[in-house]
Amino acid sequence: MTDSSPLLSVEQLHVAIRNDHGISRDMVSGVSFTVAAGETLGLVGESGCGKSLTAMSILGLLPRPQAGISGGQVRYRGEDLAGASRQRLRTLRSAEIAVIFQDPMTALNPVHTIGRQVEEVLRLHFPGLKAGDRRQRVLTLLEDVGIPAAAERVNAYPHQLSGGMRQRVMIAIALAGEPKLLIADEPTTALDVTIQAQIISLLISLQQQRGMGMLFITHDLALVAQLADRIAVMYAGKIVEQQPAEQLFASPRHPYTKGLLAALPAAAEQPKTRLAAMTGQVPGIDQMPTGCRFANRCPHADDLCLNTDPALESFTDGAAVACHHWKKLND
Amino acid sequence: MAGYFLRRFLLIIPTFIGITLLVFAITRVVPGGPIERMMTQAQLGGETGGLQRSQGGGTLSEEQMAELEKYYGFDKPILTGYALWLKKVLQLDLGLSTRYQDPVWQIIRERFPVSIFYGVTTLILTYLVCIPLGLLKGMYHGGRFDGASSAVVFLGYALPSYVIGIALISLFAGYYDWFPLGGFVSDDFSELSPWQKTKDIFHHAALPLIAYLAGSFAVTTLMMKNALMDNLSTDYMRTAAAKGLGLGQSVRRHALRNSLIPVATSFGSNISLLISGSFLIETIFNIDGIGLLGYEAIIERDYPIVMGILVISSLLYLIGNILSDICVALVDPRIRFGGGVH
Ligand SMILES: Nc1ncnc2c1ncn2[C@@H]1O[C@H](COP(=O)(O)OP(=O)(O)O)[C@@H](O)[C@H]1O
Ligand code: SF4
Ligand SMILES: [Mg+2]
Repeated sequence: MTDSSPLLSVEQLHVAIRNDHGISRDMVSGVSFTVAAGETLGLVGESGCGKSLTAMSILGLLPRPQAGISGGQVRYRGEDLAGASRQRLRTLRSAEIAVIFQDPMTALNPVHTIGRQVEEVLRLHFPGLKAGDRRQRVLTLLEDVGIPAAAERVNAYPHQLSGGMRQRVMIAIALAGEPKLLIADEPTTALDVTIQAQIISLLISLQQQRGMGMLFITHDLALVAQLADRIAVMYAGKIVEQQPAEQLFASPRHPYTKGLLAALPAAAEQPKTRLAAMTGQVPGIDQMPTGCRFANRCPHADDLCLNTDPALESFTDGAAVACHHWKKLND
Repeated sequence: MAGYFLRRFLLIIPTFIGITLLVFAITRVVPGGPIERMMTQAQLGGETGGLQRSQGGGTLSEEQMAELEKYYGFDKPILTGYALWLKKVLQLDLGLSTRYQDPVWQIIRERFPVSIFYGVTTLILTYLVCIPLGLLKGMYHGGRFDGASSAVVFLGYALPSYVIGIALISLFAGYYDWFPLGGFVSDDFSELSPWQKTKDIFHHAALPLIAYLAGSFAVTTLMMKNALMDNLSTDYMRTAAAKGLGLGQSVRRHALRNSLIPVATSFGSNISLLISGSFLIETIFNIDGIGLLGYEAIIERDYPIVMGILVISSLLYLIGNILSDICVALVDPRIRFGGGVH
């Protein structure tokens, strides 16, 4: 992390969703964060708060035509990707930034062997590689992600593998282009707990070996504690708090984060716990309040909160929080 | 896998018996069978046909009727009659036409070249045109090309193919005289060189083929388009995009094969439909094919011919369906290799 400028810097990102009536509304409103080389940023928030939209807009993978970037910038090594051409984005995908998706059951093409699906990335981004070397590289990748008997499995079809093995294949695909940034969008949510732990430790060791930056997305605060250097907490399309990981767990500042931590089981061995144990509903995209989006669930909400949206305020200790009353509440 | 297809082949037997028994029973129950038909013909002949018919005596006697019924097996109960019929079919004997007194197989066989030509050409052209067209429409859904081609596709879908046939023949064969008015080949066909023969066949075939295509066009194109669009929004296509593949590349390498599965599934029923043809198009273009033969046979209560065509088309249908299952298995390893780890 000698490089002073971050690998990825998302600035005031807005992502709009167009509903069936053709009306566009911002689902992600003004999200900012950075990921440095070799660093892991955990992006945490309840399901539906806009984590995937944020992640997909980085590489221009938003579902068209329903979703699109409606404002802000996505800077990768200084270059703005939000305004980049499709052609430019294609050359960056896999080679610079790679993605692992949530559901390994559907993210692989059912009609191709897993070897072929890994090899495809090599064909695309290393066209000079000879066929024999390429096949060798596929085997190495499959071994790197911990697939036993890789030489046999290389000819297997996705449906012949378990969920955990398929997610390992997805990781091999993501690593094949030797990216500098890895976006992992809930990579373990679809897996059962023991497999989940294996995949997490695999990701940690791969990231350390390769010095990649990682944006790790999850709804599970306990899970992100295992690997994130910094954590950004998202609520209803906005980042409400950001802190270095240990600091966040030691002294959460936003009432929402506090609620999340309070809902965690004392025993950290059960990482499968859901975030939302707080009462009340997340406001829908059509009924976003003008004030604080958390106000209807917040025990500390007052008139100021209802009328004015708190800005995300940054501090010298690396923390940022969007709450009118955080200071008073933490005294 | 092999066991599965063996079972499928064995299942042909009961299905075939079910279909043919049903139709056989209908031919027995529906009033106005071939004997009555012959009587009416004989009567009409007696009144209007002039000399040769009136000599045969206007109506049939009770005895003659009974004899005819016996000859065609109409005196036996349905099941016994069916069993006798089936036994003959198994000996490859489809019986005699009640209209022509010729063997049914020979009558059908004479029409085969024409019907197979139209059936196979239509099938090939349909897939050759509809698959790429459906793919393009799906890839650029909502674009200008999609809109313009949709107009043509829906026109073809909304107009019955016989209307298109009549329009084509009146315009391009009647008014402009670019194409022959009908028939399969010219009268001097046998004197032509092989190259001229081919040209002659396609010259005659152009308009009816368009009429046939118009019928199957919309369904197959839209099936292809919808299948592709379903696949375009799948997770594995997002993976393909995340790898850095362009739209064309990811369609060719990923969505195409998955999208062909529904089209491959419909292949079987298309085979039998196209071989049996359309009597309307055959009538309009004066094509002596199996569609027309079957239609006339039903109108004239020529049940041996009806049953003969049924035997052939139901066998084609059943085998065609197994062929499509084999195609699907070739495309989809989940079927080829059975269930995996779950
Ligand atoms: N393709 C889409 N079409 C319509 N709405 C969508 C689409 N994708 C996401 N949304 C909306 O945006 C919200 C945020 O989605 P997402 O970013 O996937 O949430 P998550 O934080 O669970 O990843 C969802 O609640 C959904 O209402
Ligand atoms: S701004 Fe007000 S409503 Fe929002 S989190 Fe802070 S105290 Fe609660
Ligand atoms: Mg998500």
